[in-house]
Amino acid sequence: MWSGCCGCCSAFRPRYKRLVDNIFPVYPQDGLVKSNMEKLTFYSLSSPEKLDRIGEYLYQRAARDIYRKKYGFVVIAMEAMDQLLLACHAQTLNLFVESFLKMVQKLLESTEPELQILATQSFVKFANIEEDTPSYHRRYDFFVSKFSAMCHSGEKEEVRDKIRTAGIKGLQAVVRKTVSDDLVENIWEPVHMDKIVPSLLFNMQESGFHKKESEAIDGGQEDTLDPPMLAETCMRELVGRASFGHIRAVLRPVFRHFDLHKLWVPNQFAIHTFRIIMFSIQAQYSYTVVETLMAHLDDNTKSSPTIRTNIAGVLSKIIAIAAGESVGPSVLEIINSLLSHLRDSVKNEASQTEEKEYQEALINALGEFANHLPDYQKIEIMMFIMSKIPFPLVNNNSPADNLLQSILLKSLLKVGTKYQTIHLNTTFPVSFLEPLLRMSLAPDPDMRLLVQKILHTLIDRHNNLEKLSKPTVNVADLDLVLEKSSRPDLIFINKHGPIIYDALYTSLQIDTNVPDNIEAVYTTLALLCVELACAETVIDLLQLTLGIQSLALNSTSLSNAQKFNLHAIVISLLMLIPTVVNIQPLANYAAQIAEQRKQEALHLLPDLYSHYSDNSEVANKLPHLLVDQMAVCEYVKESGIDPSRLQQTSPYGAGGPGLIAGSQRNSWIENGARGSIIELPIAEVDSAASSPGVQKKHTEEDLNFESMKKVLTEPPEIRKEAEAERRKMLSHTFRTATFSELVRRTQPKHDVLQSKLNEIFKSLTANENRSPTDEKKEDIIPHYEQNFPELFYY
Amino acid sequence: MDDYKFLFKVVLVGNAGVGKTCLVRRFTQGLFPPGQGATIGVDFMIKTVEVGNEKVKLQIWDTAGQERFRSITQSYYRSAHALILVYDISSQPTFDCLPDWLREIEEYASSKVLRILVGNKIDREDREIPENVGEEFAERHNMYYLETSAKESDNVEKLFMQIAEDLMKQARTRDLPRYDSNNQTIDGRTSTINDSSCCSRLQ
Ligand SMILES: Nc1nc2c(ncn2[C@@H]2O[C@H](COP(=O)(O)OP(=O)(O)O)[C@@H](O)[C@H]2O)c(=O)[nH]1
Ligand SMILES: [Mg+2]
Repeated sequence: MWSGCCGCCSAFRPRYKRLVDNIFPVYPQDGLVKSNMEKLTFYSLSSPEKLDRIGEYLYQRAARDIYRKKYGFVVIAMEAMDQLLLACHAQTLNLFVESFLKMVQKLLESTEPELQILATQSFVKFANIEEDTPSYHRRYDFFVSKFSAMCHSGEKEEVRDKIRTAGIKGLQAVVRKTVSDDLVENIWEPVHMDKIVPSLLFNMQESGFHKKESEAIDGGQEDTLDPPMLAETCMRELVGRASFGHIRAVLRPVFRHFDLHKLWVPNQFAIHTFRIIMFSIQAQYSYTVVETLMAHLDDNTKSSPTIRTNIAGVLSKIIAIAAGESVGPSVLEIINSLLSHLRDSVKNEASQTEEKEYQEALINALGEFANHLPDYQKIEIMMFIMSKIPFPLVNNNSPADNLLQSILLKSLLKVGTKYQTIHLNTTFPVSFLEPLLRMSLAPDPDMRLLVQKILHTLIDRHNNLEKLSKPTVNVADLDLVLEKSSRPDLIFINKHGPIIYDALYTSLQIDTNVPDNIEAVYTTLALLCVELACAETVIDLLQLTLGIQSLALNSTSLSNAQKFNLHAIVISLLMLIPTVVNIQPLANYAAQIAEQRKQEALHLLPDLYSHYSDNSEVANKLPHLLVDQMAVCEYVKESGIDPSRLQQTSPYGAGGPGLIAGSQRNSWIENGARGSIIELPIAEVDSAASSPGVQKKHTEEDLNFESMKKVLTEPPEIRKEAEAERRKMLSHTFRTATFSELVRRTQPKHDVLQSKLNEIFKSLTANENRSPTDEKKEDIIPHYEQNFPELFYY
Repeated sequence: MDDYKFLFKVVLVGNAGVGKTCLVRRFTQGLFPPGQGATIGVDFMIKTVEVGNEKVKLQIWDTAGQERFRSITQSYYRSAHALILVYDISSQPTFDCLPDWLREIEEYASSKVLRILVGNKIDREDREIPENVGEEFAERHNMYYLETSAKESDNVEKLFMQIAEDLMKQARTRDLPRYDSNNQTIDGRTSTINDSSCCSRLQ
């Protein structure tokens, strides 16, 4: 078609063609003829209407030269195009740009790496200029496809990195060019994102850089970056530009890439990538990433626990970043989702070690998340978790239920350890404290232990926990940190002391306790003593200590070992109390008993064991080694504290029913914990419809307690009437209200978070196997009613 | 010279090692490359052919067969006008994987895509898949069938030319009227063969 000889006929050719021809030297290695290029530029500026024809002509020349493999001339043509593009004014560029891009594409289509790289550079220049009128018909399909392919270049080493770098820069340029105007090209369409994202990830994963994290980031100039670093930069930019509607478009291919490339196990690269995403995403959307990760856990329910553990591991590494940004409902949704995953995992009957690891990873994620929330939200979360623990805590729960209960308690403990108590009354709102105490009486010893641990971490404000973890009579060695208790604390303990002490006392009555349980109760009491040291609480604590001693002396259900354990914590407490609130005579008295026991009865001192030698004398036969109530009163009085309450009948009657009934103790525990939580349905004794299989383990004590109280307090007919009335009311309420509503009803003030919580809980209970609402459906209301009578005492 | 009226995108898929890259190189460059490495991700080549009196530009995308590159390769199915599914007639496993590939195509490619099954390496003596087995499979799944040798250059030209012709036919019957009237592109050279925006309109 072409003569190849340009000069000969130049006189008859249009001026613009001659100007273009003249920029080409005879030998390509001489490069662009600069002076003639200036002329061409000047001409283009003064006759902008010719610009598009100049572009078209340059393109044709380049296409021909590519065909003839005269690459030197191609380079010159491209250079000329670049210069014109930059020199000319925006409003005249439109048609020229079409030729320009055709030329870029032409070069990209060649198999020559050098031309591809050159074309990319030109494209980047183009992407950086502002066009006045965007060309709505222009499509970037080809460029995205080609640049993505270049990102995967398989050429030989040096060339390969250059092409890959070019590919990444090209993608970056397309994104920059299109991102501001969806009408030009919606770069967020899957057709583009599904190419761009894997291409960037492929390059990011190509080096071990994510292992040497520390030296990364400083990066420097974009052109000195290697493909992995550049890809990372580009990824940050992409994620940073994504608005809410586009986040998922970016995330979807990320997940697919990680699945297909099996990049979850091990998960360093996944952690690295998701960190990058979290740090570059617009903060208000970071929650979406967390949400998507959790949804991915859902998608992987059938995958191996190892994969899930690793995904959960990624979650725990990034969830903290989201915590700072999450507000209200999204916080609870995250928690809720984590809890659901835990529950699902528990349902995987065979909980092998991998599944356990997965649960641990989830609990860790939960803890990490909570750790970065403000304290007031931690309380909400603890209450929320509590609300998820399946009731009732009875012995015949399925293993899955038990596991779920203990896993939820572990979660609670995790959150609890991240929480720093300032005032006890803010840490323990009634609606949190009461269920917690109820759970401290669960039939399962491990669960009781967990609850005590939760109490420990929440009560301990002065890092005394470690020191008080074991009972001891060497209090002076403990080096306890003491601080005078504040007024709010005193108000708190005045108000709630009775139910706390009662729950602790009651839990000591349980015959399945092992030394760990008894020690844990001691620790709780000791921490309370240290945190609330003052004259008023001293009497309560002494009263309780004496109560524990009489329990040890009088109980018919506890083993000898358990009784010895109790005596050991009694003396430990008696040593601790007067040291904390300086009552020297009492301290001397306690020391004297301890010393005597050391001589005569080591088994009545710490440490606690589950077995003692057969010749250990029961304490009843060693009255001189016991703590004497009168003596205690005396010493307290000596120090100027009024002992009158100590002298009154003790509320802790060692199980003696008459004593309890006669006491002024809080009715909550009487009806709740004592009656129905430990050994579930006491009053069901007279209910023929008691659920089958519920193991009734009531002791005589309990039976007597319930019945005798009523006998003592009400004439029979009235009792029956009241009973029926109450039943009616209860069943009505339970038929019409969900558990969460009940909880809410009992708590007059709650914020938005709380009601959101209820809402979520409501939706969840619907599919919970053994949730209270389900039981309601199953028409065993009396059974249920027995478990929650205390709801009506709030 | 570089003047074409139609642009078609052809994508090759199939297990690694069946000869996709060799088929593309044979067709576009006329050579049988000695020992090149496995394809990473995707790669493409172009070739302009003549059908009737019209120039047709084929943009041929060669994909990596390995599973780990699936995230990138799948993204290229969507805009394909023709998909060539390749297996190796001397390797039963590559044939056994065909249903998996079809599932992927079903999921990611346009339903109108032209599908061709290719049994490659017919120059080899150790054939494992008889021709009629391949043919029946193709028939069952509504695909064209062809056996090739990239090495001996058997049927390679024919494969791509038939694709070009077929797509041309489709383009004429289905979209040519629209192309002539309101779908005029900026330089009037490119047509889409269906109403998606598959074709780059920059050329
Ligand atoms: N005998 C024979 N070998 C072939 C043929 N096509 C490809 N090969 C060989 O098969 C191997 C894989 O080819 P390649 O094109 O890389 O396969 P791809 O992974 O599908 O792209 C190479 O060793 C080629 O030499 C053919 O038609 N006949
Ligand atoms: Mg290949």
